[in-house]
Amino acid sequence: MAQQVKVAAGAAGHGAEPRGKRTEDGQATYLVAIAEGLWEEMERDERVFMLGEDIGVYGGAFKVTEGFLDRFGRERVIDTPIAEETIVGMAVGAAMEGFRPVAEFQYSDFMTSGFDEISTALARVHYRSGVPLPVVLRGPSGGMVRASSFHSINPEPWFSYSGGIKIMCPAFPADAKGLIKSAIRDDNPCMFLEHKWIYRRIREQVSEDPDFLVPIGKADVKRGGDDVSIVTYGAMVHRALEAADALAEDGVSAEVVDLRTVHPLDEETVLRSIEKTSRAVVLSESYRFVGIGAEVASTIAEKAFQHLDAPVVRLAPPNVPVPFSPTLEDAFLPGVDDIVAEVQKLSAW
Amino acid sequence: VATTKTRRDQQTEADRRLPHDELKHTLYLLKLCRYFDERMETLYRQGKLPGAIYSGRGQEGTHVGVVLPLQPEDSLFPTHRDLSAQIAKGLDLKRVMAQYWGRIDGYTRGRDGNSHIGDWFGNRTWTVMSHLPIAYPVAVGAAWAYQRRGDPHVAMAICGDGATSNGRWHEALNWSAIHRLPVVWVVNNNGYAYSTPNELEISVPTIAERGAAYGIPGVRVDGADVVEVEAAAREAVERARSGGGPTLLESVSLRWKGHAGHDPAKYVPKELLERYMEQKDPVKNFEQRMLAEQVVSADDVKALEERIEREFQEGYDFAQASPFPEPEDHAKGLWVEDGYWTSEPGRGGPTEYS
Repeated sequence: MAQQVKVAAGAAGHGAEPRGKRTEDGQATYLVAIAEGLWEEMERDERVFMLGEDIGVYGGAFKVTEGFLDRFGRERVIDTPIAEETIVGMAVGAAMEGFRPVAEFQYSDFMTSGFDEISTALARVHYRSGVPLPVVLRGPSGGMVRASSFHSINPEPWFSYSGGIKIMCPAFPADAKGLIKSAIRDDNPCMFLEHKWIYRRIREQVSEDPDFLVPIGKADVKRGGDDVSIVTYGAMVHRALEAADALAEDGVSAEVVDLRTVHPLDEETVLRSIEKTSRAVVLSESYRFVGIGAEVASTIAEKAFQHLDAPVVRLAPPNVPVPFSPTLEDAFLPGVDDIVAEVQKLSAW
Repeated sequence: VATTKTRRDQQTEADRRLPHDELKHTLYLLKLCRYFDERMETLYRQGKLPGAIYSGRGQEGTHVGVVLPLQPEDSLFPTHRDLSAQIAKGLDLKRVMAQYWGRIDGYTRGRDGNSHIGDWFGNRTWTVMSHLPIAYPVAVGAAWAYQRRGDPHVAMAICGDGATSNGRWHEALNWSAIHRLPVVWVVNNNGYAYSTPNELEISVPTIAERGAAYGIPGVRVDGADVVEVEAAAREAVERARSGGGPTLLESVSLRWKGHAGHDPAKYVPKELLERYMEQKDPVKNFEQRMLAEQVVSADDVKALEERIEREFQEGYDFAQASPFPEPEDHAKGLWVEDGYWTSEPGRGGPTEYS
């Protein structure tokens, strides 16, 4: 089982410190697991290459790609200008010519600087023309690290709406490694969102099998329970697990469903959980209004109504920019206490 | 230092280089594109053509001229105005018309209409998107791929003067110049971005001189003269192919029709339009020259016209006979693994699927 380790990074989790390596007993942090996944796929397939701002010499803002330049060279590890539209467009063109680009965004916030090439070009080429685009866009997302408005975004709702992009938001190192490898091998556009709070905080045993894959579009029950389902993804999975521990002490058995992929949504796993527990708290770090949680909650209401004993509850931040001050950000994000309180309210039904 | 000059001095040489059958082919393409544009507008005005039309009339010299030097493996990234360039690159008129009528045999199987078309696997043309210049960054990626693999291929992108105002245009030129990518950046300067004239969109006298900002050659040619366009494009393509990096090629013309079929373009001064139509008609000018230089005879021209009319009619008939897509397929083809685009190979969609 995963264990939490103390963060060794600066406030926003990035800086000049190296990404480190596995512990002696084989545990990898989320960041190390992602780097391993990228490395193995670069070794496996000559068509895979990486591009992004400061990913080469500097090794990336979070040091995920540290050492890649030395191993794979400038042709496959490309430092780009600050030109996000062209980072995406270049990846589209290279993919049309048979390459498999992996583009890094320093923060997923800056994906909006390439919005048109993502949502118009990348997402719509295949449906209109049959030309496959095996492109991966990856970048750190999410808050909880006092990075404020422009370095804490959860962009997954924006790009889920685009349609033709598979979007992954893993919570654990093993899932992260297995999913980044699956994304690179997938023939469709993929967006891989790495929660920056998790990068150096969570570590666990991670497979070293070069063909270890986690399927895209499959949720995973991270903790079984009978009384209520907490459906969530990304860093909120860890808060949900903490809340489930606290609830267990009160005799409430909470099931934690980790979506892992938010688009396409694994409705089957979610609905199976609701069938069992009859109560749902949908917890997300993306906004409440038109967020991923809204979509999951409406799916449950529509397709599992007959199994429900209580209203479906959404727990998500309000649609305001992510604030900086600790008091503000803590109030903005759903906390463990908030989750416990919502579950207790539902239990009263 | 970038050069900004016309290429009149090279015309004679270019003429000599183009053999007669190529000149005849050029005339065929010019006349085909003009005829297609006119007939489609008529059908649109008669209410017989669904969707939209984006006339490229008056700009055929640019569209045909820039494509002539391209090889089949070279890629083309045009916009909605550039159907003539796509036809010159090798699109099949039958499937083009099936696309306009939303039929299964169109290149997008009815998923898109009009000149939002392309055939990547067939003749390396980008399936056009409306956002401008969305394909400029994509051409960077294709050109990068050729350079990386050591392929002797070239990417060519076309946009209008309007699209040069967009940040992506500058991003793409800059990136391509940094890495000396094998790409040709064509700007079809037809004077207007929809209704907005050059002087409200460009802060310098010519677009070509912007090449200097990226350290690449900038060339300005008369889009009414297909020979001049072809010569400049050939030089740019050869530069790209031989490792000399990108070229910015501005071809100047006037948009004879509105932005789209619904736009009467009353904002274009009448005398300007009349002057262009009288003096700067790329199709008429080239035809007269070929007749005067006895490259073609009047009978040849007549035969070409009959061939074009026949091909148009065949395309029209093919399109009308082609079935509409199945309604239940409307959500298919988003993901590769659903198999939609590999079903019924040869019918609609990519010419080949690899």
